[in-house]
Amino acid sequence: MVTNNDISVTLGPVTFKNPVFIASGICGYGEEYSPLVPIEELGAVVTKTITVRSRLGNPPPRIHEVPTGALNSIGLENVGLEAYIRDKLPLLRDKRVGVIVSIAAEFEEEFVEVADKLAPLDGYKGLELNLSCPNVEEEALDHGRNPEFVERITRIVKERVPDRALLVKITPNVTDIGEVAKAAEAGGADGISAINTVVGVDFDLETGKPIFHRGSGGYSGPGILPIALQKVWEISRAVSIPIVGMGGISSVDDARKFFIAGATAIQVGTSLWVDPELTKNIIAALHEHPEYLGTGTAE
Amino acid sequence: MTFTNIIQNNARPGHYECTVIENRALSRRYYLLVLSRPREMTNPEPGTFVHLLVPDANRFYLRRPFSVLDCDDETISLLIVEKGEGTRIMRRIEKGRPIDIVGPLGSTFPKVPGKRVLALGGGVGLAPLYYYGVRREAKDCETYRLLYGARSREDLFVDGFDWALDGVSFSTDDGSHGFQGNIVEFAQHEFEQSQVDVIFSCGPNPMLKAAAEFADRVGVPHYVSLENRMACALGACRSCVVLTRNGAIRYRTVCNDGPVFDARELVWKELPQA
Repeated sequence: MVTNNDISVTLGPVTFKNPVFIASGICGYGEEYSPLVPIEELGAVVTKTITVRSRLGNPPPRIHEVPTGALNSIGLENVGLEAYIRDKLPLLRDKRVGVIVSIAAEFEEEFVEVADKLAPLDGYKGLELNLSCPNVEEEALDHGRNPEFVERITRIVKERVPDRALLVKITPNVTDIGEVAKAAEAGGADGISAINTVVGVDFDLETGKPIFHRGSGGYSGPGILPIALQKVWEISRAVSIPIVGMGGISSVDDARKFFIAGATAIQVGTSLWVDPELTKNIIAALHEHPEYLGTGTAE
Repeated sequence: MTFTNIIQNNARPGHYECTVIENRALSRRYYLLVLSRPREMTNPEPGTFVHLLVPDANRFYLRRPFSVLDCDDETISLLIVEKGEGTRIMRRIEKGRPIDIVGPLGSTFPKVPGKRVLALGGGVGLAPLYYYGVRREAKDCETYRLLYGARSREDLFVDGFDWALDGVSFSTDDGSHGFQGNIVEFAQHEFEQSQVDVIFSCGPNPMLKAAAEFADRVGVPHYVSLENRMACALGACRSCVVLTRNGAIRYRTVCNDGPVFDARELVWKELPQA
Protein backbone atom coordinates (compact mmCIF):
# COMPACT_ATOMS: atom_id res chain seq x y z
CA MET A 1 0.00 0.00 0.00
CA VAL A 2 1.27 3.44 -0.87
CA THR A 3 0.87 5.82 2.02
CA ASN A 4 1.28 9.54 1.89
CA ASN A 5 2.13 10.61 5.41
CA ASP A 6 3.42 14.13 5.86
CA ILE A 7 7.20 13.98 5.84
CA SER A 8 7.84 17.66 5.29
CA VAL A 9 10.75 19.24 7.14
CA THR A 10 11.40 22.81 8.17
CA LEU A 11 14.80 24.47 8.02
CA GLY A 12 14.60 27.96 9.48
CA PRO A 13 11.91 29.95 7.66
CA VAL A 14 11.32 27.38 4.91
CA THR A 15 9.46 24.09 4.69
CA PHE A 16 10.51 21.37 2.25
CA LYS A 17 7.99 18.73 1.21
CA ASN A 18 10.30 15.90 2.19
CA PRO A 19 13.78 15.53 3.68
CA VAL A 20 15.45 13.92 0.65
CA PHE A 21 17.75 16.23 -1.30
CA ILE A 22 20.35 15.70 -4.01
CA ALA A 23 23.79 16.91 -2.96
CA SER A 24 25.64 19.71 -4.72
CA GLY A 25 27.81 18.68 -7.65
CA ILE A 26 25.89 15.49 -8.39
CA CYS A 27 23.11 16.72 -10.64
CA GLY A 28 24.60 19.90 -12.10
CA TYR A 29 22.14 22.78 -12.07
CA GLY A 30 19.29 20.32 -11.62
CA GLU A 31 17.79 20.21 -15.06
CA GLU A 32 20.47 17.85 -16.39
CA TYR A 33 19.22 15.05 -14.16
CA SER A 34 15.53 15.41 -14.95
CA PRO A 35 15.53 12.64 -17.61
CA LEU A 36 16.28 10.09 -14.90
CA VAL A 37 15.12 11.54 -11.61
CA PRO A 38 11.77 13.34 -11.24
CA ILE A 39 13.40 16.29 -9.51
CA GLU A 40 10.09 17.97 -8.68
CA GLU A 41 9.40 15.08 -6.31
CA LEU A 42 12.52 15.75 -4.24
CA GLY A 43 12.61 17.82 -1.10
CA ALA A 44 15.26 19.89 -2.82
CA VAL A 45 18.02 19.90 -5.38
CA VAL A 46 21.24 21.52 -4.22
CA THR A 47 22.69 22.96 -7.39
CA LYS A 48 26.34 22.86 -8.38
CA THR A 49 28.39 25.38 -6.44
CA ILE A 50 28.60 28.75 -8.13
CA THR A 51 31.19 31.47 -7.63
CA VAL A 52 31.02 35.15 -8.57
CA ARG A 53 33.12 34.58 -11.68
CA SER A 54 32.91 31.45 -13.82
CA ARG A 55 35.61 28.85 -13.23
CA LEU A 56 37.19 26.53 -15.80
CA GLY A 57 37.80 23.82 -13.20
CA ASN A 58 40.66 21.35 -12.95
CA PRO A 59 42.33 19.61 -15.90
CA PRO A 60 41.23 15.99 -16.37
CA PRO A 61 41.29 13.33 -15.14
CA ARG A 62 38.62 14.44 -12.70
CA ILE A 63 37.10 11.18 -11.54
CA HIS A 64 38.76 8.05 -10.26
CA GLU A 65 36.96 4.96 -9.08
CA VAL A 66 38.08 3.02 -6.00
CA PRO A 67 36.48 -0.15 -4.61
CA THR A 68 34.56 1.81 -1.97
CA GLY A 69 33.56 4.88 -3.94
CA ALA A 70 35.12 7.56 -6.07
CA LEU A 71 37.67 10.34 -5.85
CA ASN A 72 36.89 13.53 -7.73
CA SER A 73 38.83 16.61 -8.66
CA ILE A 74 36.37 18.84 -10.50
CA GLY A 75 37.66 22.10 -9.02
CA LEU A 76 34.40 24.06 -8.79
CA GLU A 77 33.92 24.37 -12.54
CA ASN A 78 30.84 26.57 -12.89
CA VAL A 79 29.17 29.12 -15.14
CA GLY A 80 29.48 31.99 -12.65
CA LEU A 81 26.81 33.89 -10.75
CA GLU A 82 25.49 36.03 -13.59
CA ALA A 83 25.02 33.14 -16.05
CA TYR A 84 23.51 31.04 -13.27
CA ILE A 85 20.90 33.68 -12.51
CA ARG A 86 20.19 34.29 -16.19
CA ASP A 87 20.29 30.74 -17.61
CA LYS A 88 20.02 28.12 -14.90
CA LEU A 89 17.81 29.31 -12.06
CA PRO A 90 14.77 30.01 -14.33
CA LEU A 91 14.79 26.43 -15.65
CA LEU A 92 13.91 25.04 -12.26
CA ARG A 93 11.62 27.87 -11.19
CA ASP A 94 9.28 26.92 -14.01
CA LYS A 95 9.30 23.33 -12.84
CA ARG A 96 8.44 24.13 -9.23
CA VAL A 97 11.49 22.31 -7.92
CA GLY A 98 12.74 22.99 -4.42
CA VAL A 99 16.10 24.59 -5.11
CA ILE A 100 18.97 25.23 -2.74
CA VAL A 101 21.69 27.31 -4.36
CA SER A 102 25.21 26.29 -3.39
CA ILE A 103 27.67 29.16 -3.31
CA ALA A 104 31.36 29.59 -2.63
CA ALA A 105 33.56 32.65 -2.56
CA GLU A 106 37.09 33.67 -1.70
CA PHE A 107 36.52 36.92 0.11
CA GLU A 108 33.93 38.45 2.37
CA GLU A 109 33.01 41.02 -0.30
CA GLU A 110 32.24 38.23 -2.74
CA PHE A 111 29.87 36.56 -0.30
CA VAL A 112 28.16 39.92 0.07
CA GLU A 113 27.90 40.28 -3.70
CA VAL A 114 26.43 36.80 -4.19
CA ALA A 115 23.94 37.22 -1.36
CA ASP A 116 22.88 40.69 -2.53
CA LYS A 117 22.30 39.53 -6.08
CA LEU A 118 20.36 36.42 -5.09
CA ALA A 119 18.30 38.02 -2.32
CA PRO A 120 15.64 39.72 -4.49
CA LEU A 121 15.16 36.72 -6.82
CA ASP A 122 12.58 34.00 -6.56
CA GLY A 123 12.91 30.40 -7.70
CA TYR A 124 14.93 29.06 -4.81
CA LYS A 125 14.23 28.16 -1.21
CA GLY A 126 17.65 28.13 0.33
CA LEU A 127 21.34 28.75 0.12
CA GLU A 128 24.11 26.35 1.01
CA LEU A 129 27.46 27.92 1.79
CA ASN A 130 30.13 25.62 0.44
CA LEU A 131 32.92 26.48 2.82
CA SER A 132 34.71 23.24 2.30
CA CYS A 133 35.65 22.34 -1.27
CA PRO A 134 38.91 20.38 -1.09
CA ASN A 135 39.67 20.62 -4.81
CA VAL A 136 40.84 24.15 -5.40
CA GLU A 137 44.13 26.02 -5.25
CA GLU A 138 42.82 29.04 -3.44
CA GLU A 139 43.11 28.32 0.23
CA ALA A 140 40.43 30.92 0.83
CA LEU A 141 37.90 28.67 -0.89
CA ASP A 142 38.53 26.07 1.78
CA HIS A 143 38.16 28.36 4.76
CA GLY A 144 35.59 26.16 6.43
CA ARG A 145 38.19 25.13 8.98
CA ASN A 146 38.23 28.54 10.61
CA PRO A 147 35.31 28.92 13.09
CA GLU A 148 35.64 32.69 13.35
CA PHE A 149 35.43 33.08 9.55
CA VAL A 150 32.52 30.64 9.34
CA GLU A 151 30.54 32.62 11.91
CA ARG A 152 31.20 35.96 10.25
CA ILE A 153 30.30 34.79 6.73
CA THR A 154 27.19 32.98 7.92
CA ARG A 155 25.98 36.16 9.63
CA ILE A 156 26.71 38.36 6.59
CA VAL A 157 24.75 36.08 4.27
CA LYS A 158 21.87 35.38 6.63
CA GLU A 159 21.26 39.10 7.14
CA ARG A 160 20.75 39.45 3.39
CA VAL A 161 18.52 36.41 2.84
CA PRO A 162 16.49 36.22 6.07
CA ASP A 163 13.52 34.54 4.38
CA ARG A 164 15.50 31.59 2.91
CA ALA A 165 16.93 28.51 4.55
CA LEU A 166 20.65 29.06 5.06
CA LEU A 167 22.70 25.88 5.27
CA VAL A 168 26.40 25.85 5.99
CA LYS A 169 28.25 22.88 4.49
CA ILE A 170 31.23 21.94 6.54
CA THR A 171 34.21 19.75 6.03
CA PRO A 172 35.03 16.52 7.83
CA ASN A 173 38.70 17.35 7.41
CA VAL A 174 39.04 19.08 10.78
CA THR A 175 39.93 17.95 14.28
CA ASP A 176 36.72 19.17 15.91
CA ILE A 177 33.77 19.43 13.56
CA GLY A 178 31.53 20.47 16.46
CA GLU A 179 33.46 23.75 16.81
CA VAL A 180 32.84 24.71 13.19
CA ALA A 181 29.16 23.72 13.46
CA LYS A 182 28.79 25.86 16.59
CA ALA A 183 30.28 28.81 14.73
CA ALA A 184 27.73 28.44 11.93
CA GLU A 185 24.94 28.21 14.50
CA ALA A 186 26.19 31.33 16.24
CA GLY A 187 26.22 33.14 12.89
CA GLY A 188 22.54 32.37 12.39
CA ALA A 189 22.60 29.32 10.12
CA ASP A 190 19.30 27.47 9.75
CA GLY A 191 21.08 24.15 9.36
CA ILE A 192 24.39 22.37 8.99
CA SER A 193 25.12 20.30 5.88
CA ALA A 194 27.63 17.59 6.62
CA ILE A 195 29.77 16.12 5.39
CA ASN A 196 31.56 17.38 2.32
CA THR A 197 33.96 14.92 0.67
CA VAL A 198 36.85 13.46 2.63
CA VAL A 199 40.29 14.37 1.35
CA GLY A 200 41.85 11.35 -0.32
CA VAL A 201 44.47 10.39 -2.84
CA ASP A 202 45.35 7.48 -5.08
CA PHE A 203 48.52 6.80 -7.01
CA ASP A 204 49.25 5.45 -10.46
CA LEU A 205 51.60 2.49 -9.99
CA GLU A 206 53.14 2.94 -13.43
CA THR A 207 54.10 6.59 -13.02
CA GLY A 208 54.44 6.64 -9.23
CA LYS A 209 52.43 9.86 -9.24
CA PRO A 210 49.00 10.83 -7.95
CA ILE A 211 46.11 10.15 -10.34
CA PHE A 212 45.00 13.78 -10.23
CA HIS A 213 47.10 16.76 -11.31
CA ARG A 214 46.32 18.44 -8.02
CA GLY A 215 47.34 15.35 -6.09
CA SER A 216 44.53 14.93 -3.58
CA GLY A 217 40.85 14.80 -4.40
CA GLY A 218 37.50 14.52 -2.68
CA TYR A 219 36.53 11.00 -1.64
CA SER A 220 32.85 10.08 -1.68
CA GLY A 221 30.67 6.99 -1.97
CA PRO A 222 29.75 4.05 0.28
CA GLY A 223 33.17 3.97 1.94
CA ILE A 224 32.67 7.28 3.76
CA LEU A 225 29.35 6.32 5.37
CA PRO A 226 30.74 5.55 8.86
CA ILE A 227 32.83 8.72 8.82
CA ALA A 228 29.82 10.81 7.83
CA LEU A 229 27.59 9.20 10.46
CA GLN A 230 30.22 9.87 13.12
CA LYS A 231 30.51 13.53 12.13
CA VAL A 232 26.74 14.06 12.01
CA TRP A 233 26.47 12.40 15.40
CA GLU A 234 29.14 14.72 16.80
CA ILE A 235 27.47 17.78 15.30
CA SER A 236 24.09 16.78 16.70
CA ARG A 237 25.59 16.91 20.17
CA ALA A 238 27.22 20.29 19.54
CA VAL A 239 24.35 22.31 18.07
CA SER A 240 20.58 22.53 18.28
CA ILE A 241 19.85 23.63 14.70
CA PRO A 242 18.87 20.96 12.13
CA ILE A 243 21.49 18.87 10.34
CA VAL A 244 21.29 17.86 6.71
CA GLY A 245 23.30 14.66 6.70
CA MET A 246 25.12 13.14 3.76
CA GLY A 247 28.04 10.95 2.89
CA GLY A 248 27.92 7.46 1.40
CA ILE A 249 24.16 6.92 1.32
CA SER A 250 23.40 4.10 -1.10
CA SER A 251 20.23 2.60 0.39
CA VAL A 252 17.12 3.34 2.44
CA ASP A 253 18.84 1.80 5.45
CA ASP A 254 21.84 4.12 5.08
CA ALA A 255 19.47 7.09 5.06
CA ARG A 256 17.75 5.82 8.22
CA LYS A 257 21.09 5.77 10.01
CA PHE A 258 21.52 9.49 9.39
CA PHE A 259 18.17 10.17 11.04
CA ILE A 260 19.28 8.07 14.00
CA ALA A 261 22.55 10.02 14.17
CA GLY A 262 20.58 13.24 14.43
CA ALA A 263 19.92 14.46 10.89
CA THR A 264 16.66 16.22 10.01
CA ALA A 265 17.14 15.76 6.27
CA ILE A 266 19.57 13.91 4.04
CA GLN A 267 21.34 14.42 0.75
CA VAL A 268 22.18 11.70 -1.74
CA GLY A 269 25.32 12.00 -3.83
CA THR A 270 27.67 9.60 -5.56
CA SER A 271 25.37 6.57 -5.39
CA LEU A 272 22.72 8.35 -7.44
CA TRP A 273 25.04 7.98 -10.42
CA VAL A 274 24.85 4.23 -9.96
CA ASP A 275 21.20 3.98 -8.85
CA PRO A 276 18.92 6.68 -10.28
CA GLU A 277 16.00 5.24 -8.28
CA LEU A 278 17.70 5.88 -4.95
CA THR A 279 15.99 9.15 -3.99
CA LYS A 280 12.63 7.83 -5.12
CA ASN A 281 13.04 4.71 -2.99
CA ILE A 282 14.06 6.68 0.09
CA ILE A 283 11.11 9.09 -0.29
CA ALA A 284 8.71 6.15 -0.69
CA ALA A 285 10.12 4.43 2.41
CA LEU A 286 9.75 7.61 4.47
CA HIS A 287 6.16 8.11 3.33
CA GLU A 288 5.42 4.61 4.48
CA HIS A 289 7.44 4.86 7.71
CA PRO A 290 7.44 8.49 8.88
CA GLU A 291 8.69 7.16 12.19
CA TYR A 292 12.11 6.82 10.55
CA LEU A 293 12.36 10.59 10.87
CA GLY A 294 13.00 12.30 14.14
CA THR A 295 14.74 9.33 15.64
CA GLY A 296 17.89 11.29 16.44
CA THR A 297 18.15 9.97 19.93
CA ALA A 298 21.38 8.02 19.72
CA GLU A 299 23.42 8.85 22.80
CA MET B 1 38.09 30.87 -34.89
CA THR B 2 34.45 29.99 -34.45
CA PHE B 3 32.32 27.69 -36.55
CA THR B 4 28.85 26.24 -36.59
CA ASN B 5 28.66 22.87 -35.00
CA ILE B 6 26.28 20.40 -36.61
CA ILE B 7 26.64 17.80 -33.87
CA GLN B 8 23.42 17.20 -31.97
CA ASN B 9 22.34 15.42 -28.84
CA ASN B 10 18.66 14.53 -29.04
CA ALA B 11 18.89 11.41 -26.92
CA ARG B 12 16.08 10.87 -24.46
CA PRO B 13 17.62 8.52 -21.92
CA GLY B 14 15.79 6.20 -19.57
CA HIS B 15 16.76 3.74 -16.87
CA TYR B 16 15.99 0.14 -17.85
CA GLU B 17 16.54 -3.46 -16.99
CA CYS B 18 17.55 -5.59 -19.97
CA THR B 19 18.22 -9.30 -20.33
CA VAL B 20 21.39 -10.80 -21.76
CA ILE B 21 20.48 -12.54 -25.00
CA GLU B 22 23.99 -13.40 -26.15
CA ASN B 23 27.48 -12.91 -24.77
CA ARG B 24 30.28 -14.37 -26.81
CA ALA B 25 33.96 -13.84 -27.52
CA LEU B 26 34.85 -12.36 -30.88
CA SER B 27 38.60 -12.43 -30.41
CA ARG B 28 41.20 -12.50 -27.68
CA ARG B 29 39.93 -9.40 -25.90
CA TYR B 30 36.74 -8.44 -27.68
CA TYR B 31 33.28 -9.75 -27.03
CA LEU B 32 29.78 -9.15 -28.28
CA LEU B 33 27.07 -8.47 -25.70
CA VAL B 34 23.52 -8.59 -27.04
CA LEU B 35 20.79 -7.28 -24.73
CA SER B 36 17.03 -7.29 -24.99
CA ARG B 37 15.83 -3.84 -25.99
CA PRO B 38 13.38 -2.30 -23.52
CA ARG B 39 10.11 -1.51 -25.28
CA GLU B 40 10.03 2.08 -24.02
CA MET B 41 13.61 2.85 -24.99
CA THR B 42 13.90 5.44 -27.75
CA ASN B 43 15.87 4.57 -30.84
CA PRO B 44 19.61 5.04 -30.23
CA GLU B 45 21.16 7.08 -33.03
CA PRO B 46 24.63 6.08 -34.30
CA GLY B 47 27.24 7.51 -31.96
CA THR B 48 25.10 7.29 -28.83
CA PHE B 49 25.96 5.00 -25.97
CA VAL B 50 24.41 3.17 -23.04
CA HIS B 51 25.71 3.35 -19.47
CA LEU B 52 25.91 -0.11 -17.95
CA LEU B 53 25.96 -1.15 -14.34
CA VAL B 54 28.51 -3.90 -13.73
CA PRO B 55 26.31 -6.85 -12.74
CA ASP B 56 26.78 -8.98 -9.62
CA ALA B 57 29.33 -6.52 -8.26
CA ASN B 58 30.57 -7.01 -4.73
CA ARG B 59 32.20 -3.60 -4.64
CA PHE B 60 31.50 -0.07 -5.85
CA TYR B 61 31.59 0.48 -9.58
CA LEU B 62 30.66 3.57 -11.54
CA ARG B 63 28.63 2.73 -14.63
CA ARG B 64 30.54 1.96 -17.84
CA PRO B 65 29.73 3.65 -21.16
CA PHE B 66 29.49 1.54 -24.35
CA SER B 67 28.68 2.78 -27.83
CA VAL B 68 25.82 1.04 -29.57
CA LEU B 69 27.12 -1.40 -32.20
CA ASP B 70 23.70 -2.26 -33.55
CA CYS B 71 20.09 -2.09 -32.54
CA ASP B 72 16.75 -3.33 -33.82
CA ASP B 73 13.27 -3.56 -32.32
CA GLU B 74 14.24 -6.48 -30.11
CA THR B 75 17.93 -6.10 -29.29
CA ILE B 76 20.83 -3.77 -28.57
CA SER B 77 24.33 -5.03 -29.38
CA LEU B 78 27.48 -3.76 -27.74
CA LEU B 79 31.10 -4.39 -28.61
CA ILE B 80 33.18 -4.70 -25.49
CA VAL B 81 36.89 -4.95 -24.97
CA GLU B 82 38.16 -6.50 -21.78
CA LYS B 83 40.14 -3.77 -20.06
CA GLY B 84 39.71 -4.05 -16.33
CA GLU B 85 37.73 -5.70 -13.58
CA GLY B 86 34.35 -4.35 -14.67
CA THR B 87 34.58 -5.63 -18.23
CA ARG B 88 36.03 -8.92 -16.95
CA ILE B 89 32.92 -9.47 -14.82
CA MET B 90 30.67 -8.53 -17.72
CA ARG B 91 32.39 -11.02 -19.96
CA ARG B 92 31.20 -13.82 -17.69
CA ILE B 93 27.57 -12.77 -17.39
CA GLU B 94 25.34 -15.51 -18.69
CA LYS B 95 22.44 -15.53 -21.09
CA GLY B 96 19.15 -14.75 -19.38
CA ARG B 97 20.66 -12.59 -16.63
CA PRO B 98 19.46 -9.03 -16.05
CA ILE B 99 21.58 -5.98 -16.85
CA ASP B 100 20.80 -2.46 -15.66
CA ILE B 101 21.32 0.26 -18.25
CA VAL B 102 20.80 3.97 -18.73
CA GLY B 103 20.46 5.19 -22.30
CA PRO B 104 20.57 6.12 -25.04
CA LEU B 105 22.97 8.96 -24.24
CA GLY B 106 25.11 11.50 -26.03
CA SER B 107 25.56 13.10 -29.42
CA THR B 108 25.45 11.39 -32.80
CA PHE B 109 27.55 11.26 -35.93
CA PRO B 110 25.96 13.85 -38.21
CA LYS B 111 23.88 13.21 -41.27
CA VAL B 112 25.80 14.56 -44.27
CA PRO B 113 23.49 14.35 -47.31
CA GLY B 114 25.29 14.01 -50.61
CA LYS B 115 28.71 13.58 -48.98
CA ARG B 116 31.16 10.72 -49.36
CA VAL B 117 32.18 9.52 -45.92
CA LEU B 118 35.36 7.73 -44.99
CA ALA B 119 35.00 6.19 -41.51
CA LEU B 120 38.01 5.08 -39.48
CA GLY B 121 37.44 2.59 -36.68
CA GLY B 122 40.29 1.59 -34.40
CA GLY B 123 39.78 -1.38 -32.08
CA VAL B 124 36.62 -1.10 -30.04
CA GLY B 125 36.01 2.24 -31.77
CA LEU B 126 34.45 0.26 -34.58
CA ALA B 127 31.06 0.18 -32.84
CA PRO B 128 29.42 3.55 -33.64
CA LEU B 129 30.87 3.59 -37.16
CA TYR B 130 29.58 0.12 -37.94
CA TYR B 131 26.18 1.15 -36.61
CA TYR B 132 26.11 4.29 -38.74
CA GLY B 133 26.95 2.26 -41.83
CA VAL B 134 24.60 -0.61 -41.23
CA ARG B 135 21.58 1.58 -40.38
CA ARG B 136 22.20 4.47 -42.74
CA GLU B 137 19.56 5.64 -45.18
CA ALA B 138 20.29 7.02 -48.65
CA LYS B 139 19.67 10.57 -47.45
CA ASP B 140 22.21 10.35 -44.60
CA CYS B 141 25.22 10.39 -46.94
CA GLU B 142 26.16 9.63 -50.53
CA THR B 143 28.62 6.80 -49.89
CA TYR B 144 30.03 5.26 -46.73
CA ARG B 145 33.34 3.44 -46.64
CA LEU B 146 34.51 1.94 -43.34
CA LEU B 147 38.14 1.11 -42.59
CA TYR B 148 38.69 -1.01 -39.55
CA GLY B 149 42.13 -1.38 -38.07
CA ALA B 150 43.74 -3.23 -35.20
CA ARG B 151 47.16 -4.40 -34.11
CA SER B 152 46.86 -7.85 -35.61
CA ARG B 153 44.41 -10.32 -37.08
CA GLU B 154 43.47 -11.75 -33.66
CA ASP B 155 42.06 -8.39 -32.66
CA LEU B 156 40.03 -7.91 -35.82
CA PHE B 157 37.43 -10.65 -35.37
CA VAL B 158 36.83 -10.75 -39.13
CA ASP B 159 35.50 -14.29 -38.91
CA GLY B 160 33.55 -14.36 -35.66
CA PHE B 161 31.21 -11.51 -36.52
CA ASP B 162 28.32 -11.37 -39.00
CA TRP B 163 29.26 -8.32 -41.05
CA ALA B 164 25.97 -6.93 -42.28
CA LEU B 165 27.77 -4.04 -43.93
CA ASP B 166 29.39 -3.81 -47.35
CA GLY B 167 32.37 -1.63 -48.02
CA VAL B 168 34.43 -2.57 -44.96
CA SER B 169 38.18 -2.89 -45.37
CA PHE B 170 40.69 -4.03 -42.82
CA SER B 171 44.16 -3.04 -41.78
CA THR B 172 46.59 -4.47 -39.26
CA ASP B 173 49.74 -2.92 -37.91
CA ASP B 174 51.63 -6.18 -38.49
CA GLY B 175 50.06 -6.91 -41.89
CA SER B 176 48.52 -10.18 -40.74
CA HIS B 177 45.24 -9.20 -42.41
CA GLY B 178 44.35 -6.56 -44.98
CA PHE B 179 46.37 -3.41 -45.46
CA GLN B 180 49.65 -3.37 -43.57
CA GLY B 181 50.04 -0.26 -41.47
CA ASN B 182 48.07 1.83 -39.07
CA ILE B 183 44.61 3.01 -39.91
CA VAL B 184 45.62 6.57 -40.68
CA GLU B 185 48.18 5.34 -43.19
CA PHE B 186 45.39 3.21 -44.64
CA ALA B 187 43.12 6.27 -44.76
CA GLN B 188 45.80 8.20 -46.62
CA HIS B 189 46.10 5.36 -49.12
CA GLU B 190 42.31 5.29 -49.64
CA PHE B 191 42.16 9.06 -49.91
CA GLU B 192 44.50 8.92 -52.89
CA GLN B 193 42.26 6.33 -54.60
CA SER B 194 38.82 7.89 -54.18
CA GLN B 195 36.96 11.09 -53.32
CA VAL B 196 36.28 11.80 -49.66
CA ASP B 197 34.16 14.73 -48.38
CA VAL B 198 33.89 13.90 -44.67
CA ILE B 199 35.87 11.77 -42.22
CA PHE B 200 34.41 10.04 -39.18
CA SER B 201 36.67 8.38 -36.63
CA CYS B 202 36.53 6.50 -33.35
CA GLY B 203 39.30 4.67 -31.53
CA PRO B 204 42.21 5.25 -29.13
CA ASN B 205 43.19 8.89 -28.61
CA PRO B 206 46.59 8.66 -30.38
CA MET B 207 44.84 7.29 -33.46
CA LEU B 208 42.22 10.05 -33.32
CA LYS B 209 44.88 12.70 -33.00
CA ALA B 210 46.70 11.31 -36.05
CA ALA B 211 43.39 11.19 -37.92
CA ALA B 212 42.73 14.82 -36.98
CA GLU B 213 46.13 15.88 -38.28
CA PHE B 214 45.48 13.98 -41.49
CA ALA B 215 42.00 15.53 -41.93
CA ASP B 216 43.47 18.99 -41.34
CA ARG B 217 46.20 18.36 -43.85
CA VAL B 218 43.76 17.31 -46.57
CA GLY B 219 41.19 19.93 -45.56
CA VAL B 220 38.28 17.58 -44.93
CA PRO B 221 35.72 18.00 -42.10
CA HIS B 222 36.29 15.42 -39.40
CA TYR B 223 33.89 14.19 -36.74
CA VAL B 224 35.32 12.14 -33.95
CA SER B 225 33.84 10.06 -31.14
CA LEU B 226 35.76 10.14 -27.84
CA GLU B 227 35.86 7.78 -24.92
CA ASN B 228 36.35 8.77 -21.30
CA ARG B 229 35.64 7.71 -17.75
CA MET B 230 32.26 9.04 -16.69
CA ALA B 231 30.12 9.32 -13.60
CA CYS B 232 26.66 10.75 -14.31
CA ALA B 233 26.68 10.55 -18.16
CA LEU B 234 24.15 13.40 -18.27
CA GLY B 235 26.49 16.38 -18.43
CA ALA B 236 25.85 17.19 -14.78
CA CYS B 237 28.92 16.19 -12.79
CA ARG B 238 31.58 17.54 -15.19
CA SER B 239 33.85 14.52 -14.62
CA CYS B 240 34.46 13.46 -18.23
CA VAL B 241 35.47 16.79 -19.73
CA VAL B 242 37.83 17.57 -22.60
CA LEU B 243 39.24 20.97 -23.45
CA THR B 244 37.58 22.58 -26.47
CA ARG B 245 38.05 25.77 -28.42
CA ASN B 246 35.16 27.23 -30.38
CA GLY B 247 35.65 30.91 -29.84
CA ALA B 248 36.26 30.55 -26.10
CA ILE B 249 38.35 27.85 -24.44
CA ARG B 250 36.21 25.70 -22.22
CA TYR B 251 35.71 22.20 -20.97
CA ARG B 252 32.92 20.22 -22.56
CA THR B 253 31.61 16.84 -21.45
CA VAL B 254 32.26 13.70 -23.46
CA CYS B 255 29.00 12.24 -22.12
CA ASN B 256 26.60 14.98 -23.12
CA ASP B 257 28.30 17.49 -25.43
CA GLY B 258 29.94 14.44 -27.03
CA PRO B 259 30.90 11.69 -27.42
CA VAL B 260 30.87 12.93 -31.05
CA PHE B 261 32.69 16.23 -31.56
CA ASP B 262 33.78 18.29 -34.52
CA ALA B 263 37.51 17.51 -34.46
CA ARG B 264 38.39 21.16 -35.13
CA GLU B 265 36.87 22.04 -31.79
CA LEU B 266 39.10 19.81 -29.67
CA VAL B 267 42.36 21.03 -28.13
CA TRP B 268 44.27 17.93 -29.18
CA LYS B 269 47.47 18.61 -27.27
CA GLU B 270 45.47 18.52 -24.02
CA LEU B 271 43.85 15.17 -24.78
CA PRO B 272 45.51 12.34 -22.81
CA GLN B 273 47.47 10.15 -25.21
CA ALA B 274 47.79 7.14 -22.92
